[in-house]
Amino acid sequence: MPPGDLAIWFFIFAELLAFGIFFVAYAFARAHNVELFNESQQHLNIASGAINTLVLITSSYFVVRAVAAIRQNLARECARWIAAAIGMGGVFLVIKVIEFHAKFSAGISLSTNTFYMFYLSLTIFHFMHVILGMVILAAVMLKARSGGYSGENHAGVETGASYWHMVDMVWIILFPLVYVIH
Amino acid sequence: MDTVHRPHFIRSSTIVWLALMFLTLITYAIGEAKLGGWGVMLMVLGTAVIKVQMVSDHFMGLRRTRWLWRGIVLGWLLLVAGLVTIAYLSAVK
Amino acid sequence: MLYKSQAVAKPYFIAAIGLFVGQILFGLIMGYQYVVGDFLFPAIPFNVARMVHTNLLIVWTLFAFMGAGYYLIPEEAETELFSPKLAIIMFWIFLVAGALTIVGYLAVPYATLAQMTGNDILATMGREFLEQPLPTKVGIVIVALAFLFNISLTVLKGRKTSISLVLLLGLWGLAIFFLFSFYNPSNLVLDKYFWWWTVHLWVEGVWELILGAMLAFVLIKITGVDREVIEKWLYVIIAMTLITGIIGTGHHYFWIGAPEYWQWFGSVFSALEPIPFFMMTVFAFNMVNRRRREHPNKAATLWALGTGVMSFLGAGVWGFMHTLAPVNFYTHGTQITAAHGHMAFFGAYAMVNLTMISYAMPMLRGRSANSRSAQTLEMWSFWLMTVSMVFITLFLTAAGILQIWLQRMGSNPMSFMDTQDQVMLFYWLREIAGLVFFVGLVLYIWSFFCKKGEAHFAA
Repeated sequence: MPPGDLAIWFFIFAELLAFGIFFVAYAFARAHNVELFNESQQHLNIASGAINTLVLITSSYFVVRAVAAIRQNLARECARWIAAAIGMGGVFLVIKVIEFHAKFSAGISLSTNTFYMFYLSLTIFHFMHVILGMVILAAVMLKARSGGYSGENHAGVETGASYWHMVDMVWIILFPLVYVIH
Repeated sequence: MDTVHRPHFIRSSTIVWLALMFLTLITYAIGEAKLGGWGVMLMVLGTAVIKVQMVSDHFMGLRRTRWLWRGIVLGWLLLVAGLVTIAYLSAVK
Repeated sequence: MLYKSQAVAKPYFIAAIGLFVGQILFGLIMGYQYVVGDFLFPAIPFNVARMVHTNLLIVWTLFAFMGAGYYLIPEEAETELFSPKLAIIMFWIFLVAGALTIVGYLAVPYATLAQMTGNDILATMGREFLEQPLPTKVGIVIVALAFLFNISLTVLKGRKTSISLVLLLGLWGLAIFFLFSFYNPSNLVLDKYFWWWTVHLWVEGVWELILGAMLAFVLIKITGVDREVIEKWLYVIIAMTLITGIIGTGHHYFWIGAPEYWQWFGSVFSALEPIPFFMMTVFAFNMVNRRRREHPNKAATLWALGTGVMSFLGAGVWGFMHTLAPVNFYTHGTQITAAHGHMAFFGAYAMVNLTMISYAMPMLRGRSANSRSAQTLEMWSFWLMTVSMVFITLFLTAAGILQIWLQRMGSNPMSFMDTQDQVMLFYWLREIAGLVFFVGLVLYIWSFFCKKGEAHFAA
C-alpha cells in the first residue's frame, strides 16, 4: 500500500492525469505555433520560476522531515516541520502573485495568445493546488500539535505529505516546460 | 520498516534534496543562457524526469511499496515526457 | 421499513413511475413523428411532444429523488421524519402543478400558455428543459424548499452520516442551481451561460452526488459491507465529480460566443468526467463481490450493478465521444447528442431511481423482497429496458455518424432535411427498440402486482 490513505492516491492520480493532459496539450499547441511560443516565452521571468522550484522542493523536504519526526513519535517537531513547509508554500504564493501582477499590469490575459492562455491557466491551476495543499497541511499540523498522531498512528501525516509532494512534482515539470524549453 | 526513522534516512533525504536543488540550478542556468535546440530540450526534460522520479521514490516513499504504485507514477511520467518530446521533435524540422 | 414516516416515500415513487410511463408514451409518439412527420398533427405537434417527453423526465426524476430522500433520510438519521404531513401536502401540490403544466402544454399553444401564466411579468419560458410556466417554476422552488427543510431538520435532529450529507449537498445544489432558470437575459451568450448553469450543473454536477448517495445507500443495505469502506469511495467519487464537472461546464461554451480558452478547459476537464462514473462502476461491483450477506432482493442488486455500468457507458463513454472541441465542431447538435442523452439519462438517473424503487417498494409494502417469480419478471424488465436502450443508442449513433458525414463533411454537403431522409432507416429501428423498452417498463410495473409465489418477509 502507498503511504497515507488510499483515497488520496486516487485523487493524486487524477490530478496527475489532469496536469499531464495539459502538459501534452501545451506541447502540441506549441508544435503548431513555435515562433509565437518562443517569442512570448522570452517575456517570462525565469528567475522567479526557478526560485519557486527551489522553494517548493525545500518545502517538500521539510514535509519529509515531518514524516520522519512523527515516525519517531516527535509530534511537536513534526508540527514545526509542517509549519515550515506551509511557510515555504506562502513564499511560493507571494512570488507567484508578484509574477502575475507584472503580467496582468502588462495587459496580458487568457485571451492574449495561445501561449499566455497556457501559461496563465497552467500556473493558476497549479496555484490553486498549492493553496489546497497548504490547507491540507494546516489541518495535519493542527492535529499533530494537539497530539492526534503518534509513532504508530500517523497515516494522516503521510496523506497530507503525499498530496504536497504531488504539488511539488507537477511544478518540477511545469517550470522547465513552460519557462525554459524552447 | 525500522530503517525509515533512523538518522541515515534523514541523511539520504537531505542528499536527495541537495541534488534536486543542484539540478534546478542547472536548468535555471540553461534557461538564462537562452540555450535552445533539441539536445538542450532533451537534457532539460530528462533532468525534470529524474527529479520527479527522485521525489516519487524518496520523498513520497513509493520505493518501498508495491511496484504498482511506483509504476503508475513512472508510467505517467514517461508517457507525458514521451509525448512532449514527440511534440517538440515534430516541430523542430 | 424501520421508521413509520418512511411511508411518505410511497406516493412519490408511484407518481414517479406513472410519469415515467407518460414520458415513454410521448417518446414513442415523437419517435413515430420522426418517420411519419404529420402523425397526430395538429393535436400534438413534434415540438410539444418533445417538450412533454423531456419535462416529464425531469419531473419524474425529481419525484423519485424526493421519494428517495424521504425513504433514506429517516433510516440514515435513525429518527422519524420531521414532518410527514408536510411531505404529503407537498406531494399533492407538486403532482397537481405538474399535471396542470402538462395539460397546459397540450391544451393551448405555448405562446398562449406564456401569456396566461404571466411570462410578461418575468420572462423565464422558452428555454429547452426549462419551458415550465412561471407558476410551475415557483411551485418547484416551494416544493423543493419545503422538502429540503423537512429532510434537513430530520438530519439535524438525528445521526449524521456521509450518505445523508452528500445527499443533502446534492439536493440543496439542485434547488440553488434551479434559481438560474429565473434569469433570462436578452444577451444570447449570457442567456446560454445561465441556462447551462442550471442544466449542466444539475446533470453533470449535483445530480451525480444524489446518484452516488442513493447507490451507496442501496449497496450498504444489500451487501452489508462496512459503512466506512463505502463512505470513503463516496467521498473520492464526489470530489472527482465536482472538480471535473464544474470546470467541465466549459464543454458547453465552445460555440456560444465565450472566449476561446474554454475550448481547452472544456475539453480537458470534461474528458476527465468519465473517471467518477468509472469509479462508480468499480465501486458497485467491488461492494457486491465483498458482500457479507445474501439479500433476498436480487432484482435490486441487478439494478444497482446496471446503474454503474450503464451510467459509465452512457454518460462516460458516449459523453467522451463528442466532448473534445475539435470533434464537437462536427458532432454538435446531431443525433450523436441524442444518443448520448438517451443512454446517459437512462443509465444514470432513470436506473438509479429504478434501483431505489426496486429496493424500497417491497419494504414499503411490508416485506424485504418480492417473491421469486415477481423478481424474475423484474429482471426480465431490466434486460428488456437496458438492452433496448443500448439499441436505441446504437441506432441514434449510427444515424448521427451518417448525418455528420452527409451534412457536414465533404465538398458537397446535403441540406438538413435531405440528410434526415437518408437516415430514416435508423429512426424506424429506433422506434422498434422504443416499443421493446415500453414492454420492459410494463413488465417492471407488472412485477409489483405479481401475486405468484411467496414474498420474503424476514427483515
